[in-house]
Amino acid sequence: MVWDWLPEYAPRFVEGISITLQLLGLSIFFGMMLAIPIGLVQVTGPWPLAWLARAFCTVIRGTPLLIQLWLIYYGLGSLFPFIPGIRESMFWPILRDAFPYAVFAFTLSVAGYEGEIMRGAFKGVPKGELEAARAIGMTPFQVLRRVWLPRALQNVFPTLAGEFILTLKATPLAATITVFEVYGIGTIVRQETYRIYEPLLFVAAIYVFLTICLVVFFRFLENRRALPRI
Amino acid sequence: MTTSSYAIELRQLRKSFGSVEVLKDVSLAARKGEVISLIGSSGSGKSTLLRCINLLENPTAGEILLNGETLLLRKGKSGLEAANRRQAERFRSKLGMVFQSFNLWQHMTVLQNVMEGPVRVLKRTKADVHKEAVALLERVGLGEKLYAYPSQMSGGQQQRAAIARALAMQPDVMLFDEPTSALDPELVGEVLQVIRALADEGRTMLLVTHEMRFAREVSDRVIYLHNGQIEEEGTPDQLFGNPKSDRCRTFVSSIHS
Repeated sequence: MVWDWLPEYAPRFVEGISITLQLLGLSIFFGMMLAIPIGLVQVTGPWPLAWLARAFCTVIRGTPLLIQLWLIYYGLGSLFPFIPGIRESMFWPILRDAFPYAVFAFTLSVAGYEGEIMRGAFKGVPKGELEAARAIGMTPFQVLRRVWLPRALQNVFPTLAGEFILTLKATPLAATITVFEVYGIGTIVRQETYRIYEPLLFVAAIYVFLTICLVVFFRFLENRRALPRI
Repeated sequence: MTTSSYAIELRQLRKSFGSVEVLKDVSLAARKGEVISLIGSSGSGKSTLLRCINLLENPTAGEILLNGETLLLRKGKSGLEAANRRQAERFRSKLGMVFQSFNLWQHMTVLQNVMEGPVRVLKRTKADVHKEAVALLERVGLGEKLYAYPSQMSGGQQQRAAIARALAMQPDVMLFDEPTSALDPELVGEVLQVIRALADEGRTMLLVTHEMRFAREVSDRVIYLHNGQIEEEGTPDQLFGNPKSDRCRTFVSSIHS
């Protein structure tokens, strides 16, 4: 095995890790922002919204992420330049870059999968606890904010953590639309050094490392919830 | 606003689930400080009656008054709904509800459960509420369990915590919906003891219960419901000692034996 290329490319891998984590963090954040209402309306109605949410989840979960990513980047992305004056606008530097499209696609994916999980999570909160919240005089929003949502999240936290780790390992797909995250950097190394296996092994090791970090992080969050707080 | 000697008043309350009429024209009024027990076989509508008072169920017809103030209702899909959400929330905050299955919030400690209402609904400061909550929990014998989670406690402890949670709102009326029915027999006593103390201090209470002896001891008045109607009402001695209606007599004797 030949590893002499590593010192030269190490800084680029650091950059790649940063991009991977940004992509993951942003899509989990925005994805959950969507997943929560998507799950909620399927339980509370009204039915047109519930139907829409269900359709969204079905489509997202029924199509490969790679295809979603390409449709968004090559499809949606190729439409923007036709908007008059957009190249001169402040949005152009964002629209020109591949990264926001990757965040957008991964956000939709997280929203679709986690929306379905949140539906079950909301449904699984005992009715009595919600009644107790209403009976004490809480507004509907307070019931959601103080009881329904935290109870739902608590129930599915380990499931969500597992889903987020799966999302981490889907991020290499972003390399196909020129987002140079960890795997993307790995392909650059392979092309420039003609080494086949070492860069792949190194990339794999990085994902194992990141996964362990996430597992530890989520475990920490989970335990913190379970401990009595003063 | 009119002043009234009644803490809670129900006028001609009706409730149907589909074509089944669960409450047929029930009227009752509790004076301030009065303890009223609602008894009757299962399906007689006593729990539904209690749940209609704070609109956990929507009555089909009727009027609900708290301290002389009428709860504003309007026709909705599932019956009469709150016409003014804020008013309904204010009513609820003054009606302390204790459920059969406790319904403590499992993600909060006991202390947090008790503080939640005063802090979030009554908008009082945490520091202010904290002292009171601790005192309340000590009063129901849970001074050692402030930071326990509901899942770590026995049913009796949970129910006492749930009573403390309701009391923390400083309610005008306490509503007990079969508070001991889900408890193991050996845990019933500790909960009844807390409820008895509340009765003794002159709180207005409506109590749905199967504990006949307890109802006889603590109540000022007992109401026997049958098929969604008040079949008989009177003082405990009257109703348990010398019931007028046959049905009530059968019910009371069947329970006693």
